[in-house]
Amino acid sequence: MKHNFSYLLNKWRQKKKKSAAVNNIPSDQTTLEKKLQDTVHSVRSSLGESSDFVVRNFKVGNNQTIKAALLYMDGLADKSFIQNFIMETLMVDTELEEISGKDISNDSGQSTSVSVSGKQGDFFKQFKDRIVANSEVSEINSYESLFQYLLAGDSILLLDGYVKGFAIGSKGYESRGVQEPSSQTVVRGPKDGFSEVLRTNTSLIRRRIKDPNLWVENKVIGKKTNTDVAICYINGVVNEKVVQEVKQRLDKVDIDAILESGYIEETIQDETFTPFPTIYNTERPDTICAGLLEGRVAIMVDGTPFVLLVPALFVHFFQSSEDYYQRSDVGTLVRLLRYLCFFLALLTPASYIALTTFHQEMIPTQLLVSLAAQREGVPFPAYVEALLMEITFEILREAGTRMPRAVGNAISIVGALVLGQAAVEAGIVSSAMVIVVSLTAISSFVSPTFNMAISVRILRFGFMTLAAMFGLVGIILGLIVMVLHLTSLRSFGIPYLAPMGPFIPSDQKDALVRMPFWNLRNRPKLINQTDLEREDTPSPKPPSTKQ
Amino acid sequence: MVKKLKIVCVIIIFILFLTACWDANELTDLALATALAIDQEDDQIKLTVQVINPDEIAGNNFTNRTAVSTYSSTGETVFEALRKLTTIAPRKVYLSHIHVIVIGEALAEAGIARNLDFISRDHEMRADFHLAIARGHTAAEAINILTPLEKISAEKLASSIESSQQAWAKTKKVSLDVLLSSISSKGKEAVLTGVDIIGDPNQGNKLDNVEAVHSPTFVKVDTVGVFKNDQLVGWLSGDDSKGLNYVINEVESTVEETACEEGDDKKVVAEVIKSNTKMEGKFKNDTPTVAIDIKTEANIGDVECGIDITDPSNFEKIEKQLGKEIEQLIKDSIDQAKELESDIFGFGEVISRSNYKRWKEIEGRWSDVFVQQLQTEVNVDVTLRRTGTVTQSFQKEIEEKKKKDEQ
Repeated sequence: MKHNFSYLLNKWRQKKKKSAAVNNIPSDQTTLEKKLQDTVHSVRSSLGESSDFVVRNFKVGNNQTIKAALLYMDGLADKSFIQNFIMETLMVDTELEEISGKDISNDSGQSTSVSVSGKQGDFFKQFKDRIVANSEVSEINSYESLFQYLLAGDSILLLDGYVKGFAIGSKGYESRGVQEPSSQTVVRGPKDGFSEVLRTNTSLIRRRIKDPNLWVENKVIGKKTNTDVAICYINGVVNEKVVQEVKQRLDKVDIDAILESGYIEETIQDETFTPFPTIYNTERPDTICAGLLEGRVAIMVDGTPFVLLVPALFVHFFQSSEDYYQRSDVGTLVRLLRYLCFFLALLTPASYIALTTFHQEMIPTQLLVSLAAQREGVPFPAYVEALLMEITFEILREAGTRMPRAVGNAISIVGALVLGQAAVEAGIVSSAMVIVVSLTAISSFVSPTFNMAISVRILRFGFMTLAAMFGLVGIILGLIVMVLHLTSLRSFGIPYLAPMGPFIPSDQKDALVRMPFWNLRNRPKLINQTDLEREDTPSPKPPSTKQ
Repeated sequence: MVKKLKIVCVIIIFILFLTACWDANELTDLALATALAIDQEDDQIKLTVQVINPDEIAGNNFTNRTAVSTYSSTGETVFEALRKLTTIAPRKVYLSHIHVIVIGEALAEAGIARNLDFISRDHEMRADFHLAIARGHTAAEAINILTPLEKISAEKLASSIESSQQAWAKTKKVSLDVLLSSISSKGKEAVLTGVDIIGDPNQGNKLDNVEAVHSPTFVKVDTVGVFKNDQLVGWLSGDDSKGLNYVINEVESTVEETACEEGDDKKVVAEVIKSNTKMEGKFKNDTPTVAIDIKTEANIGDVECGIDITDPSNFEKIEKQLGKEIEQLIKDSIDQAKELESDIFGFGEVISRSNYKRWKEIEGRWSDVFVQQLQTEVNVDVTLRRTGTVTQSFQKEIEEKKKKDEQ
């Protein structure tokens, strides 16, 4: 079935490719015009007279003979910065500049547009070296690079008579800043989260790992969005093969837009047709740093606080950064609780259906009597009843996520009182089923990662159906198939179920349980092959009282 | 390839949905049976099943209906009668939660073996229920009595059987596997606990019975019925039953009493907290003999006289007296069994374990040997452990006070 799907998808994709998009900027690859006004005109028409495109024409030099233009996008560029550090230096300071004055006086009689080409370079060089007082200056000579800088928020300085210009770093747009992440909250641990700005995000990581081996590589993906994507890893710790694989897969991505890291996730993940996530995402810089230090690769996308981490194994989705901030016994207990809740969320409704419709002999008599009493008068079979309640709950949950915050209370009242209590009182569902659904819901919220909780939601319905048809036999069958599927999964070449399958004894210390730090000497073996030693802290001991 | 996969997928989906939940039973389609009663009626088997009315036990709104109801039908065999029940019971009778199976006295006397096979063979039956014999009444009457406190009377019966064995030792809980192995063993006979109805059985199955503070009709677990092969041959008294439990090492806790002084009617009562029995078979001058060695630990639970229990010699005296009392119990019990010609203690098995060759010689006429030749050597060793929360009884002070008054 799987192959079938991807086959069809590929076929469909190929058809689509034939009708490739038409470029609407004909001057994309061409160099700039010699005449300043031609260039400005060409840029303006390429942008379709957009209202946020600003052109400031002015003259520079002692005699104000050189025509120049500053181009920037309103809203993307920092206006006060342009005012204070670009315009002022160009218009006020150049008047006093001797060198530039000399240069211009040489050609004072003629228009600059026909200036001697030999002097072009000098003048241009002086501009670059001395006049533009800015840390980020680069030369541009084609429309392609012009648009790239312009649309990223930089200012473009064009001089009349030159087929090149300057891109001056003046990015300054409104952003959210570093705030507490709304997902994956912790009681103890850092409260800063990634924001939408890529640079802020890389700085958050570099502030934590002050090592020259922390490498950040940039890529621009998205034909229309030209989104910055950064690959981040610690050289020497990371598994080189994984980095190569990540780069290769990113190179293959040919997509119009990258609006969120989810676009990247879906285009580079190993397996599409699986309910289980094979790429980890988080808003927490500390989680990403911990991943990098284990030898994993982070993929950051501009415009989203969600950073991807690969390879992502099954156990990673049950780990919270807080496991490492609390003492190891607390971390272990909580981690085991999460695995328990994974199975509760997955199997509680299915087990209830199986036990009450197939295996009544397994329920203690008193409990069975009480269950039977509640089911008395309920018009639906247990499976239909469970399905009804589960679907109702999913609707409530989805409504709760999407609706405006102001009506949040209404949903909880409707959900709890109207649906829960009234349905039981009306005898449409049994109260035991309400308990089962609530337990399932609460258990699924325990998961520290949202995407694993979603896969449980999907699988739960399958297990319920299996239980309704074959009882416990069906549940066991489903579990076998699920485990087989899990063992077949890979995340960037690493077996998904590692370190349980393949079993790696030394990695067990940080899988189901979390051993104390002095015991976690080595990095996980599968992800990382070199530089295994992580630390050598001796086990803490009280000082000897003997003399 | 793709086509084949498509076909396989379609087949799998159809197979999944065509099963149509076979074997599934909704709770609302089941009548949960808690007790079975098997009686003999003329030449036929009368089967009575007690099913519960869940709404009445755990529901939200109680009506004045009873928590349990019974249905009866007759047939040539138990199985036939059970299936015949479908004609009168509103739902499928579900047997997994049976707590108790009561067998009528008449049927027990005629032989129970032929009816037990179905019970042990049927897949729905869990083997954790108790078996009992209705003494002096039909089995159906025994499970028809409504009991206060426990709404499900079968549960009351089961827990009475269990707790009385544990704390009183004058009854005997028997599960199906024990019963079957005793019936089929050559060196052992079966016993089953008896269930008495006190009061009028016709009164007992009405709701009035549980509306009174003191229920006029109730079920009592009492005494033990003795089988020879699969036929009931007689009953042991309460004390004999206790003797039986001592010998087969099933006393968990009980109460023993002995006189303060010889001939005195005032008593010292001890609570047995632990009892361990070892039996050894041997042939003494060709006489099969079983040595019964019992080690019992007890606490003093009640002192009615002014005996000084801090005095070690008195302590020893009480221990010895208690030992004699238990010895007497056991001897009476064995005598009673011999009278009924039924080796309920499993002495035959003990002897076969110690000397298999000689056992083979007497195996065929074991019941005669048991009655006429078997000797038993009973040795009871009682150790008193604690005296409760007081040491010296206030009885002593009362006695001293009386003496002063007399002076």
